[in-house]
Amino acid sequence: MIVADLPPVELARQLAGPGVRLRTGPVVTEIRSRLSEVAQGLALHYAHHSVETTADFADFHVSVAPPATLRKWVRPQVLFELDGKPPFLPLPRDQAFPLLEWGLNWCVSNHCHQYLIVHAAVVARSGRAALLPGPSGSGKSTLCAALVNRGWVLLSDELTLIEPVTGNVVALPRPVSLKNASIEVIRGAFPRAVLGPVVYDTTKGSVAHMKPPAEGVCCALEPAQPRWIILPRYEAGAASRLSRLPKGRAFMQLADNSFNYSLHGRKGFAALAQTIDACDCHEFTYGALDDAMAVFDELARNA
Amino acid sequence: MSVPAFRWRTVPREALAWRDWDGDFVVRNHLSGSTHLLGPLAGQVMLALLALDDPATVDDLAAALEAPAAVQASDWTASIEGVLAEFERLGLALPEMR
Repeated sequence: MIVADLPPVELARQLAGPGVRLRTGPVVTEIRSRLSEVAQGLALHYAHHSVETTADFADFHVSVAPPATLRKWVRPQVLFELDGKPPFLPLPRDQAFPLLEWGLNWCVSNHCHQYLIVHAAVVARSGRAALLPGPSGSGKSTLCAALVNRGWVLLSDELTLIEPVTGNVVALPRPVSLKNASIEVIRGAFPRAVLGPVVYDTTKGSVAHMKPPAEGVCCALEPAQPRWIILPRYEAGAASRLSRLPKGRAFMQLADNSFNYSLHGRKGFAALAQTIDACDCHEFTYGALDDAMAVFDELARNA
Repeated sequence: MSVPAFRWRTVPREALAWRDWDGDFVVRNHLSGSTHLLGPLAGQVMLALLALDDPATVDDLAAALEAPAAVQASDWTASIEGVLAEFERLGLALPEMR
C-alpha cells in the first residue's frame, strides 16, 4: 500500500489515532499528528511512498502536535517529539510540515549509524550516484531538484547513506527542501514540479518542499554505486565550470560533512576512502540550471 | 635543544590509517580520532617514516627524500624539521633522544 491509496479522511484518521508507518528507503517511521498541515503534507509529498501495514516494528515513533501550553489560539505552536521527547523547541504552527521534515532528518542523522551519513544531496543515473555535499546556501538542493526533474533519480536531498561494507549508497528519497530564491527558480524552470506551500520566516528563511517524482521513489529501491563527488557552488551569472578536485580534499570535504565519520572510527576511514576511490571528484560552479544540466548529462554519458 | 639530536618515529603503525592519492595524502590517527590532509612534503615525510623500520633523524629523512633542485640543503632540512614539529603537535610522530 502507498500513501496515495489512503483517502484523505482515512489518512487523517490514522495519523490522529494509531499512526501511519511510512517507509522511506530502509527507514520505517510511525508518524502521529492531528494537524491538517501534516496530513496534507504527507498526502502531497509522500503519495508514492509505502505505508507499512503489517510490520510490527518501526525505527522511529514521532509526533507533531501542539505543546501542552495555553498557546492554542494566540500564535499557536507545534512540537516535534521522538518517543515522547522533543529534541527541538516548538515552532509556529504553520511550520508543522517543515518541522516534521527536519525532525525526520534529525532522527536519521542521529540514529542510523549502521550507515556512514554525509550531509549531501545524492542523485543517480543508471545506478551510478553523484554525491553533492555542501553547506546550506551552496545550491545543492536547487541542483538536486533540477536534476531529478531531468531524469536523475533522487536518492536523497539531504542525507547520503553509505553502506560501509559494500560502499553502496542506500536511497532515502524524501521531499526536496527548497529555500528562498530557489523556490521560484525551480517553479519557473520546471512548471510540472509539484511544490507544497511556501512557509515563510523559518530559521532557514522561506521554505517549500518539492515532491520527489514517483519514478524516483520507485527506482530508488536499488542501491547505487558512488561515481562522482561534486561540490556545487551557485554563483549568480557564472558560466558552468567543472574543475578537478584532488581526492584528498574530496575526502576531507566528505569527512567534514559527515554526521558520524568519527563514530565509525577505522571503518569510517576505510568506507570513505573506498567512496573516494570509486569517484571522480570535482568542484562545480554554476549560474544557470540549463548549463548545469548539460554538464551533468555529459558526465553521465561518459561514465 | 637542536632537533637533529632526535630520532623520529611515527606513532605505532597500527594506530594510523592512510591513503596517498597521487601525492594527496590523508592520514587518520586512531589514537586521537583526528584525520589530517597533508601537504606534498608532509606526505613524503610521513611515507618515509612509515617505510623505515628504525627511527630516523632529520638528516636521514633529508637524505632519503629528494630535495627540489632549487632548494639548498639547509632549507631542505629546515623544511623537514618544520614538518616533524607539526607531526609532533598533531600526535602523528614522536621524537626520541639519540
